[in-house]
Amino acid sequence: MLVMRRRAGESLLIGDDIEIEILEVGPTRVKLGIVAPANRAITRKEVILTRTENVTAARNASPEMIAWLSRTLEPVLSKDNRQGADTATGNRARDHRTSPEKH
Amino acid sequence: MPKLSTVYFQELEYTNDSIFDFPVGIPGFEDQVAFLFVEQPATRPLIFMQSLLNSCLCFLAVPALTVDREYRLNLSADDLATLGMKPEDPLRIGTDIGCFVLLTVSEDAAPTVNMMSPIVVNLRSRKGVQAIPTTSEYSLRQPLVMEKETAPCS
Repeated sequence: MLVMRRRAGESLLIGDDIEIEILEVGPTRVKLGIVAPANRAITRKEVILTRTENVTAARNASPEMIAWLSRTLEPVLSKDNRQGADTATGNRARDHRTSPEKH
Repeated sequence: MPKLSTVYFQELEYTNDSIFDFPVGIPGFEDQVAFLFVEQPATRPLIFMQSLLNSCLCFLAVPALTVDREYRLNLSADDLATLGMKPEDPLRIGTDIGCFVLLTVSEDAAPTVNMMSPIVVNLRSRKGVQAIPTTSEYSLRQPLVMEKETAPCS
């Protein structure tokens, strides 16, 4: 991996048609400006990872696999039911939000 | 009632108010903008996330809290906007929103569950989104079974 040190306001070029400018450097995040040809898709890496996983997840499972999955998951469910939680909807009266992201 | 031929059920009757609208689809399936969430007693807690527009497309999911009772959601401002919610709106799973995680199963690998990018639906507006946080403590491929159980031989 090429490692380069840049300050806010400085740029780098990838090939001769992609320019990445460091716009702002914060304590936890950097703000980038990207100039690239319109046919170059620019996507957050986690979205691409999720997309690949979704495509794999979209493959259909066999009836045997469905039966095995429900058998495997059922004990989890009945354990939860004993504790009075409706896991089908995850019905528990508390807020599941994480603490606000610090920017 | 309208009927739909589906992947796992020969024909499914549904009501229009059981449709969840996914305005931006989900990554890889951006054109799939409507899903039904089907649960049947014999296969609980599995959820069948059947596309309304493509009868051959059905994801397998489970409620996130079934996999992790302490699961914490991390929704961005964009996710909330897609769901038609405001930042101050309450986010109680089961009351305000549904939160499901997609299963990945294959014949040659142990099933995994995508805890990183959950499917979140607003139970009031019936809108849904796949939430993809910029940073996550959760795995894209968490093994479904933690104990020494193995997948069935194919």
